[in-house]
Amino acid sequence: MKLNNIIDCDVHPHPRNMEEIRQYLPLPWRHRLQMVNSRGMYMNPIHVNRLDSETPDGGFPCSDPDFMRTQLMDAYGINYAILLPRAFATMYPNPDFAAAVAAAYNDWLADRWLDNNNKDGRCKGSITVAPQDPTLAVKEIERWAGHPHMVQVMMDGGSRAPYGQRQFYPIYEACAHYGLPVAFHPGTEGVGINESPAPGYPSTYIEWHVGLMLAFQAHLISFITEGVFERFPKLKVVLVEGGSAWLPPLLWRLEAEWKALREEVPWVKKRPSEYVRDHVRITSQPLENPDNKQQLLQIFEMMGAKDILMFSSDYPHWDFDSPTRAFPKLEEEIKRRIFYENAKELYNLD
Amino acid sequence: MAQHRVATVDEIRPGERKIVQLEGRSIGVFNVKGTFYALRNVCPHQGAEVCLGSIGGMTVCGNQEDGTLSELRFEKAGEILRCPWHGWEFEIRTGKSIFNPLGCYIKNYPVTIGQKDVADGETLRVETYPTSVEEKFIIVHL
Repeated sequence: MKLNNIIDCDVHPHPRNMEEIRQYLPLPWRHRLQMVNSRGMYMNPIHVNRLDSETPDGGFPCSDPDFMRTQLMDAYGINYAILLPRAFATMYPNPDFAAAVAAAYNDWLADRWLDNNNKDGRCKGSITVAPQDPTLAVKEIERWAGHPHMVQVMMDGGSRAPYGQRQFYPIYEACAHYGLPVAFHPGTEGVGINESPAPGYPSTYIEWHVGLMLAFQAHLISFITEGVFERFPKLKVVLVEGGSAWLPPLLWRLEAEWKALREEVPWVKKRPSEYVRDHVRITSQPLENPDNKQQLLQIFEMMGAKDILMFSSDYPHWDFDSPTRAFPKLEEEIKRRIFYENAKELYNLD
Repeated sequence: MAQHRVATVDEIRPGERKIVQLEGRSIGVFNVKGTFYALRNVCPHQGAEVCLGSIGGMTVCGNQEDGTLSELRFEKAGEILRCPWHGWEFEIRTGKSIFNPLGCYIKNYPVTIGQKDVADGETLRVETYPTSVEEKFIIVHL
């Protein structure tokens, strides 16, 4: 099979059913995990997963490592898939239960997708942590930091506070110490104990889903104005599935205000765009899609996409971006950076 | 225009579809309430096999002028194909998308029903469908 120098930075392995996760949960938590993996609201009313992604035996989409390889990695010649399970651990009010759910998903991911069914090592994993209790999150990071296929730490975009705030620093200290980027992925915004990133609660899935970028913008502004990258110079942040075309004007505004308000945040020692270039990576799906494709290429130029943008498909979810069809035609160098080199460098892949 | 027999009329029941390969192209043949339609099995958006999508209806509402903007109606049951990836809606009868009928559409092909012709050498195939109803063929014109 021909590999096309593609690293897919957002692939979602799912359990065949929740019993598969439960077997990794100790008592008393085992019986408290709901039997349907759902955030309970803001569900796509059409379909959540690609209808053609059911496994050949009718199983849940992306629940079979072999079929995922056939339909995604082999079909498009993808070198590596970065796996981000969706535990929604951030939505639970009980910090012990949230940590237990995160740990169970990590054990499951390692057992079913990384240590087994992964002979060629092309599947790489994300360490799910629950930020409700940062000390428990650090313990979970320490449990997996030495695993050969775990390449990053992951939390949901849904949160009770902007993620640049100090209560989360133990997590970032551990990430920086072990050289693990911390990724944020949408899914629990305004759900469970988490704040809504919009003013109040969106009425519909489309309103909620388009607004996911609001959480990512808020977290990014927080990371920069709180000086997180000065405090943890080795920390890398990955913004997954939060959109990307909003980045240039956000940075223009942030830089303009920093010139005037530096006094308030003296730990912001560099231009915000420099922190982004040096510390932040952003995944492509769902790629903004203007009628005039030249406008997207201009936005790539504005955001420095060749340094920070990483391809992602979101397989098997409904808003999948095809590696061959989602992007306009790109120059070879920037294409190679977006589809391969940026992720290869971030995750230290061969 | 080449004609291709793709099925007998009984083979694709109302609400059902069959995917066929014609001249190297994947094509979905649909039965909508007894009438047959053929659509190219490629979504104009990102190339998904659109004919594998869900078949259903669509939710619409009235308009502001007569005060019915918030009144929801479910219509065209069985006439709407939704792409299996992103869920874009298309009319099976025309291939046209709902959101932009003139600018975004699936290529469609004329379909006719033909009678069994015993002289055309298809006898062996016909014998697979022995009842008289099945002597009627669905023909896609490329």
